[in-house]
Amino acid sequence: MLAELGHFSLVLALLMAILLAIYPLWGAQRGNAALMATARPLALGTFLFTAFSYFCLSWAFFENDFSVAYVAHNSNTLLPWYYRLTAVWGGHEGSFLLWVLIFSVWTVAVALFSRSIPQEILSRVLGVLGLVGVGFYLYMLLASNPFERLLPFFPVDGRDLNPLLQDFGMIIHPPLLYMGYVGFSVVFAFAIAALIAGRLDSTWARWSRPWTLAAWVFLTLGIALGSWWAYKELGWGGWWFWDPVENASFMPWLVGTALLHSLAVTEKRKVFKSWTVLLAISAFCLSLLGTFLVRSGILVSVHSFASDPTRGLFILALLMLVIGGSLLLYALRAPQLRSIGRYQLLSREMMLIGNNILLSAATLVVLLGTLLPLVHKELGLGSISIGAPFFDQMFVYLVVPFVFLLAMGPLSRWKQQSLSALRSQVLQALLISIGAALLLSLGTDPFSYMATLGLLLSLLIVVTTVQEIRQRLAGDGEVLVQLKKLTPSHWGMVLGHLGFAVMIIGIAMVTSFSIERDVRMSPGDSIDLAGYTFRLDGVKPLQGPNYTGHVAIMDIYQNGEKYSHVEAEKRFYTVQRSVMTEAAIDVGVTRDLYVALGEQLNNGAWALRVYVKPFIRWIWAGALLMAIGGCLSLSDKRYRLKKRAHDPVSATSERVQEAC
Amino acid sequence: MKKLGLFLLPLLLFLLVSVFLLQGLFSDPTARQSSLLNRPVPEFSLADVMDDSVRYGPEVFAGEVTLLNVWGTWCVTCAYELPFLTGLREQGVRIVGLYYEQDLDPDFGAKSVSQIRQDIHKTLGQWGNPYAFNIFDQQRSLSLDLGVSGAPETFLIDAEGKIRLHHIGDVNERVWQEKFLPVYEQVSDNVAALKESGE
Repeated sequence: MLAELGHFSLVLALLMAILLAIYPLWGAQRGNAALMATARPLALGTFLFTAFSYFCLSWAFFENDFSVAYVAHNSNTLLPWYYRLTAVWGGHEGSFLLWVLIFSVWTVAVALFSRSIPQEILSRVLGVLGLVGVGFYLYMLLASNPFERLLPFFPVDGRDLNPLLQDFGMIIHPPLLYMGYVGFSVVFAFAIAALIAGRLDSTWARWSRPWTLAAWVFLTLGIALGSWWAYKELGWGGWWFWDPVENASFMPWLVGTALLHSLAVTEKRKVFKSWTVLLAISAFCLSLLGTFLVRSGILVSVHSFASDPTRGLFILALLMLVIGGSLLLYALRAPQLRSIGRYQLLSREMMLIGNNILLSAATLVVLLGTLLPLVHKELGLGSISIGAPFFDQMFVYLVVPFVFLLAMGPLSRWKQQSLSALRSQVLQALLISIGAALLLSLGTDPFSYMATLGLLLSLLIVVTTVQEIRQRLAGDGEVLVQLKKLTPSHWGMVLGHLGFAVMIIGIAMVTSFSIERDVRMSPGDSIDLAGYTFRLDGVKPLQGPNYTGHVAIMDIYQNGEKYSHVEAEKRFYTVQRSVMTEAAIDVGVTRDLYVALGEQLNNGAWALRVYVKPFIRWIWAGALLMAIGGCLSLSDKRYRLKKRAHDPVSATSERVQEAC
Repeated sequence: MKKLGLFLLPLLLFLLVSVFLLQGLFSDPTARQSSLLNRPVPEFSLADVMDDSVRYGPEVFAGEVTLLNVWGTWCVTCAYELPFLTGLREQGVRIVGLYYEQDLDPDFGAKSVSQIRQDIHKTLGQWGNPYAFNIFDQQRSLSLDLGVSGAPETFLIDAEGKIRLHHIGDVNERVWQEKFLPVYEQVSDNVAALKESGE
């Protein structure tokens, strides 16, 4: 019964979205205040009905209602209750419902938190969101209904949730990622609304910035969590695989990062308008493309769900409408956008456009690397695969100029920067970082060029960031008082850049100094690795709620003393009949000790993978820092200036003096 | 006009990409499954699950329409469909089992063959035995060749040994009526016609 209500509720949400797509847009076009006023309640209605529908599906999972086909395919009576609730997004239909739910959350958030935005613009934004929503509700109801029943013949027990997804990381990874993906829909809607209205000024950029930041923070966290989860669950100790689905989430992130910076320029300097709008459209379009790639099963990857060409066709048609339509609108309207600011060759604008070009180039590299195998196959040239080496190499080339621009950007002034001042600062920073990087590298064994380069780049960011803060404090007065004067969004930028530096260290160290051993061990055996002694005490059978397996018990010694105790599991999920490794990890700031249990060999011996991963935590710590930076910027009170919004002139002139 | 061309570039790029996406949708992933249909059962030589000395090959499917049912004693849904399949056998449908044992996985410590036989006796005694005989796919080689993704799965094989239907999941009254019966009747007519012409 509840499942039918959920289904019905979804239909009501679709109707609401249709109205939302028509009335406010119509009202904004005709200047009809009554029609425009429907935007908020309709957005709220869409959200409420979607949320109820989502609740109904969760309930079906909680109650083990296997007459619902989707529940029967993704759950099992043996599954613990919390995984039954997260199993809602374990498959295709449910994860789409989550997608739609989050989409409606963003829509309602725009409706609630944008009281300062003129009604006409808000109506257009919500109308565009409604328009996009209609497509996805239709898709759910026509091609991917999660409430389909298996009546009258339903199975006695469900097929269980994919064991890969039975993990804490998986509980929050998809919702975070979707928050990021879908969050770009808001910026997208702002951009489309501006193109429809034919007006795009710096207030537009200021309204878009907090939404971009919010989406970007979620996406950053989502990707980092996914990487952490892969490291822990896949048993190979890798943290990034350049898997098509990872790439699909990475592309919107790259474009979103570019957009963040480009929006700053458009807001402050009223330049790059058409470029910023293109980025705003691309960020969401790449999110949609990512969804398509994952959901259609067009690219084979560990993440893909069962493929179904009708669904793929439907999403592709949807993509054609949304992406094609918005790019067409862009082509027609963008030439009219005029950038009025002027700037010199050496200025912060140029640094930021340079950074944008590099980020876009990186996006293109990822896009090409992801789609080229497909294109190659379709052209009849046979199957090829583009692996990590290609991406790694390209990103090393891209990151070096990127870091130099990142280092110089904050030091430079808007409009015009004197060469001599910048040169002396950058030279100073460069000398300090080269010296420090070399000193640090001397301590490593063996010497690695890549690690030294990583250290150098990372130190360069740190030193120039310190220089930049000092430059801000150049006035007189107490240092602490002056530090307090810096705005939260400035600290956001500082943290974001430092986070990137921390991440570079992590990546450089892990790629250069990881030690990996595949060993054969019997109980009682021990091996030495990087100054640690790993001793296998034994392998015991394991019995979990919905799995059986083995657990390897290991003690780790350092200098003859017991240092740590780890247990690496290998689980066999009986219903899905698949094997999962749960790596045992001894977490440390400067290194992780990583043990994964492999196959049983003869005579009671086992294959084990023993890794030492230096500084791997820094990668995720860096991402976390970036996300915190994003939150700080978001907390800046200038995004909440309610009255000033109607008075763009004074607001703009005030902000020009501000940092970031 | 020249400027418009520049702004059209993203759209053109996207359209180009979508052409390939469209093509990609209809290629590989579905190709594998459908390619098995109307083809002969792949070559194999496997022992009977109860008796190592008896070996079977594709010729066991010749001359009679057969259901090949992939199952195991560990599989809950398989046990669930056993009574229905037994009913089919009583109506004269020939059903051959392809026994697929998960516990023989070398990663997880072997379950001895005699243990498996005991389990099979127990399960079939409890739920009914629909099988003419059971082929023991010890290395899962035949399952792989057939594109089996789990258990239970059932293939309908015609009298010439060609696969006519591949069903994933349990066979019940509804699936039988809607999916199997039309094909089954069609190929059975063929058999009848063949037999008549032979006589």
